[in-house]
Amino acid sequence: MSYLFLSVSIVLCGGILPFLFIRQFNRMRAVAAFFTATGCLLGLVSAVLLLAGNDQPTISVGFLSSFTLDFKADGLSAFFLMVIFLISFLAAIYGYHYLDKPERAVRIAASHLFFSLLIAAMALVVTAYNIITFLLCWEIMSLASFFLVVHDHEIEENSKAGYLYAVYSQVGALFLLAAFGIMYASTGTLDFAAAASLSEPTKILVFALAFVGFGSKAGVFPFHAWLPHAHPAAPSHISALMSGVMIKTGVYGIVRLYHLLAWHTPLFGQIVIIAGMITGILGVIYALGQQDIKRMLAYSSVENIGIILIALGLGMIGVAAGQPLIAVLGFAGGFLHVLNHSLFKSLLFMGAGMVLHQTGTRAMDQLGGLIKRMPVTGSTFLIGSLAIAGLPPFNGFVSEFLIYMGGFRGAALGKSYFVLSVLAIISLALIGGLALAAFTKVNGVVFQGEPRGVPAQNAAEHGSGMLVPMVILAAACLIVGLFPTFFMALAIRAVAALNLGYGRIPLAPFVPLTANITRAAALFLGVLVLLWILRSFCYRGKTITQAGTWGCGFTRPTARMQYTSSSFAASILNFFSTVAPLKEEHPAIKGRFPAPTHYHSQIQDIAELQITSLIVRPVIFLFDKLRWLQHGEIHMYIGYILLAIVVALVFVFQ
Amino acid sequence: MQSILLLFIAMLLAPLYAAWILKIKAFFGGKKGPPLLIHYYTLIKLLRKGSVYSTSTTFLFKMGPLVSLTTAAVALMFVPIGGSPSLFSFHGDVIFVLYLLGLGRFFTIAAAMDTASPFEGMGAAREAYFPIICEATLFVMLILFYLLTGELKLSAYFEGLQPLRFWHTAGATLLFVVIALFIVLLTENARVPVDDPATHLELTMIHEVMVLDHSGPDFAMIELGAFFKLFFYSAFIARLIFPFTMGPLAADVALFFAILILIYGIVGVTESIMARYRMDKVPQFVLTSFALAAFATIITLEYIK
Repeated sequence: MSYLFLSVSIVLCGGILPFLFIRQFNRMRAVAAFFTATGCLLGLVSAVLLLAGNDQPTISVGFLSSFTLDFKADGLSAFFLMVIFLISFLAAIYGYHYLDKPERAVRIAASHLFFSLLIAAMALVVTAYNIITFLLCWEIMSLASFFLVVHDHEIEENSKAGYLYAVYSQVGALFLLAAFGIMYASTGTLDFAAAASLSEPTKILVFALAFVGFGSKAGVFPFHAWLPHAHPAAPSHISALMSGVMIKTGVYGIVRLYHLLAWHTPLFGQIVIIAGMITGILGVIYALGQQDIKRMLAYSSVENIGIILIALGLGMIGVAAGQPLIAVLGFAGGFLHVLNHSLFKSLLFMGAGMVLHQTGTRAMDQLGGLIKRMPVTGSTFLIGSLAIAGLPPFNGFVSEFLIYMGGFRGAALGKSYFVLSVLAIISLALIGGLALAAFTKVNGVVFQGEPRGVPAQNAAEHGSGMLVPMVILAAACLIVGLFPTFFMALAIRAVAALNLGYGRIPLAPFVPLTANITRAAALFLGVLVLLWILRSFCYRGKTITQAGTWGCGFTRPTARMQYTSSSFAASILNFFSTVAPLKEEHPAIKGRFPAPTHYHSQIQDIAELQITSLIVRPVIFLFDKLRWLQHGEIHMYIGYILLAIVVALVFVFQ
Repeated sequence: MQSILLLFIAMLLAPLYAAWILKIKAFFGGKKGPPLLIHYYTLIKLLRKGSVYSTSTTFLFKMGPLVSLTTAAVALMFVPIGGSPSLFSFHGDVIFVLYLLGLGRFFTIAAAMDTASPFEGMGAAREAYFPIICEATLFVMLILFYLLTGELKLSAYFEGLQPLRFWHTAGATLLFVVIALFIVLLTENARVPVDDPATHLELTMIHEVMVLDHSGPDFAMIELGAFFKLFFYSAFIARLIFPFTMGPLAADVALFFAILILIYGIVGVTESIMARYRMDKVPQFVLTSFALAAFATIITLEYIK
């Protein structure tokens, strides 16, 4: 535990010290990267040691003389700490070359400060062990990430995104406050451990309220609307950290609350699994419909949160049904997917960041053919795409395989479990197919073919600090995919911390599953290499010529004739048009000599549409009616404050 | 040893069966048709040639044929050919095989997008679309098979007398599964009425247009992979429509290969008497398979109780 706090302090040094070197830009970013990365590495080591060991260290610190800050690191915390420090470490290295404009030194120093605050707050959120500590760290995390999102606030789109994020995170925090407030009111203590003593209806209320609060951070449909705005706005290593790790704190919150409430009702599982299915399917449909590469990745995070929730829901159902195998497969599959998603999603965001940094555009339809000019970015992005589509022999397949295993066992249970498990399996299959379409689209349009615009023609790779983290992450995707047993064991450690009543969970029933994945992947790679040798044998001494792509008889093909991201996705999106309506805009052509016209199409997110009409408009209407309160006279405002204090006193001393 | 031998025979015969479809189509067209060994001639011819690569392409273009052949070959290794034990088998191998075929699809699409050709992009978009529904259908079937056997491996479903047990428990509803599987076969293997491998207008193709730029041994690998994949799906239907075993393995295997002639024949007849659907009608056709599989699952489960 003390190592953990030491590493958090070093990370914070990496945020504060850069302000001393504002005039020496290179030294500043070196100091920031060095301290943050060192702190994260130490944190990573201590998290893995915690996960491997059996002790659950706790620590209490007095705060403002009336509260204590309690921290406790069990297996669940340690698993999330591992993910947090691993990705933060790589993001810190990536940030060294990504934020490279000396003329913006102050702003970059501020970005380093909030970056380190975000890492520290995330690490503390997953170890916080009472209500006040948790909410405090949660707020620091939300605020730090808000300032990171508005890094380029002079761009109107970004400041809007920041505002949207602030609203979502604060409303989400209010729901959490309500949930924890009810907990405090019923138990009379801030201690987390007291949550188990709540009455059952209260537990349902607390879980539902907290699910909305945590869901808005995690990006659960329909509370995900901030993600596709905020993630593209932030600098790419921040997007990688937010999308890969920060939204997982929402998942952590849901699991932690489930653990604390210690009530194994099927209801929680049903809520989580249904939310997961809707989130997963809609997330991937919207991801397919995006034309902006970072927005697309943000929606894909929504999809993966859906997969994680399906897994956790299955786990909860397994616990409720008294089926330890399903429970462990569900929870461990979900935790492993948390790790896997953090690996490939931060890899993909870093790849997208390289593209954005070097071409200056996020619009896929302006790009093309980048794998030739950016071989490392292109290849690692390809590996990330294969992994996120859940294809063997990469890591995404491992977690999805385990979730399927849990799902099939759940289908054999009968009753309501059967329906949910079957729906979960079909959703996973559907999500898998759609994710494949979405990621072949990104690869095909951005990295393959010919450049569609000028920026893509002259792009080149830049900065070893940006390339190395991507290579490490790509290698990690392959290693987890090939040797999942070790990582499965880590995930099972985290499951054991949930106190599901199974005591020490034996590895024996799960090792054959992961060992089979290793064998099957080896078989595939073996056949691949064999056929590759045969292929090179076939090509020995043959004439190989280069020519243009066959244009089917058309003599003047141009790069603009290529299939675009919109055309690639059009027919699939048409199939799902009820949930993803297409907004088209094309001024009619008028007159004999028509002026140039344009066509613009965009997939609309129904959550965004409905929230505007169902919540935002009524709220604006209501507050419009209350405008007379806001008249600009100071003495009346002081009166309001007095009135508020009097009312508060009445409540306190009644 | 025996399963290796059977796998070898299956891989060797796969092109022959595909030629049988051409023969049937020629018969319906009132023509003599190409010889039954046509695909072997084509493969040998292609293997002896060199290749022309488009200047737009990268290493992914060469990976496409390699990976699609590898995935189809590995998938075949998990099939219990003629009801005999499969070469490889483990709990959950069905999921692995289905995702492996997905990997093959990823690389086929990537190879097509690599050429910068609008036609190939068109084919790639369709290849990304229709199999989504097929996958959902296959998973519904898996749920049914899992509930009937408690296993998640291909050999547990199609080995020995297990298909016959399916008929005993599920009864006539298994016919739905057979039809759904046949629709999936037509879709996944780019056959009429989903895709027309013989048409001459690139705009209307799916699979053929994606491989326009491949040549020489690369193209041979794609063709071979396609034959394997067709054999993969046909083998299941063969086991389902003729679930009996004769006793001696040789007789079983011989019968299995005879039934395959019938199945490829049905594919040929379907191709001869049907026109390709308009592209926007194809999803409805494929969805039929999903509906049938879902019906079969629900009815059977009600029946088991």
